[in-house]
Amino acid sequence: MLESGFCKYVVISYGHNAVSSDSMTTMLMTLGQDEEAFGHFGATGSYALAAQRAMYEFNTGPETWKHIAVGQRKWANLNPLAMTYNRTMSYDDYMNARWLVEPFRLFDNCLVSDGGRAYIVTSAERARDLKHRPVIIAGLGQHNPADFPQSATFLAGPTGAQIAGEAALRMAGITRDDIDACQIYDCFTYTVEITLQDYGFFKPGEGTDWFQGGTIEPGGSMPVNTSGGQLSEAYFMGLTPITEGVMQLMGRCGERQLGPQTGTKAPENILCSDNGGILQCNTTIILRRA
Amino acid sequence: MTMYAKPIPKINEDSRPFWGGCKVHELRFQKCNQCGHVRWPPAIICPECHGKDTVWITAAGHGRVYTYVVYHIAYHPGFKGELPYVVAVVELHEGPRIFTNIIGCSTEEVYCDMAVEVVWDDVTTELTLPKFRPVK
Repeated sequence: MLESGFCKYVVISYGHNAVSSDSMTTMLMTLGQDEEAFGHFGATGSYALAAQRAMYEFNTGPETWKHIAVGQRKWANLNPLAMTYNRTMSYDDYMNARWLVEPFRLFDNCLVSDGGRAYIVTSAERARDLKHRPVIIAGLGQHNPADFPQSATFLAGPTGAQIAGEAALRMAGITRDDIDACQIYDCFTYTVEITLQDYGFFKPGEGTDWFQGGTIEPGGSMPVNTSGGQLSEAYFMGLTPITEGVMQLMGRCGERQLGPQTGTKAPENILCSDNGGILQCNTTIILRRA
Repeated sequence: MTMYAKPIPKINEDSRPFWGGCKVHELRFQKCNQCGHVRWPPAIICPECHGKDTVWITAAGHGRVYTYVVYHIAYHPGFKGELPYVVAVVELHEGPRIFTNIIGCSTEEVYCDMAVEVVWDDVTTELTLPKFRPVK
């Protein structure tokens, strides 16, 4: 649309009063079909089914996921906009939280939020003349395996992230080693693990080792979800990860800004993911500092 | 008719033979006459070969737990009295995978690939749910 001249600027936005209305619950509770007769509802149940299969196939579990929940919370504690800015989380807090749908405890689940996000897409040429330093969309990939959760063969991976990630890196002309940080769609902790695993950051089952020692946290070698993400900042669907990727590359992230002040690499390339359904679709975007 | 406090399947023309089978304690699935694929959920064409020639077969009722979860929260008030309960995806020997409950054992005893067999739960005079229990 931009290339053809149909439009000059495109606003991509998301807003929801998910806390103060019942619309999110209503949406989630009407996702289901006949499985409701067996007491199976919403997204937590189906992602928990995926996570359980992954526990069986490559021995992941809460010992891996706690690093994701706690790591992202450390970023949120640097972000005044985050819903959990003033609430720290320890590994014990994670482990002692109540079960919702086992193997998921409370902090494996994302937040429900009132609010919104928006970003503007235009041509690189127009962007050069704007007030803020722009961010370039360097690569894009999509893969949508799409099958029903009960018949899906991708619950324990590879999800759409594998092919979408390869396509995005290819378009950007870089390799995984050139990625400085990731903003991963994180409806659940397990979603972060399987997405990073499918991108090839670690082999199946090696996530526990990879996340050890604060890899994704402030000071870590591969910062992930630096706003706190959907688990600890706010849930605005795919807009939570992508807007954070853009803001980081623009250098507008205050106390949580990637670079020397958070003991991380000043980012040139940030990988962002979006995910839909029950791991049924993936979009991967590589953002680059202009 | 019994007062039944849980959600009931939204039966349509595609799924009516399945639920009608449950009523008489038979697990019925569509089988493609072109490629032999046994499918669920029901559809007018085969997801494997797009063939339209379909027959309904009766599955023997044996399978394995592909994956499962334990609900500790009742998202619907009808399930409050059952917590904790197990929701599973069971893969039948004939191929299809279906949502169900695992009953007849504790929640801790369930595991992926556990051998299970169908057990019929006549929840109302109109509705029978196929549930599964461990094979003894």
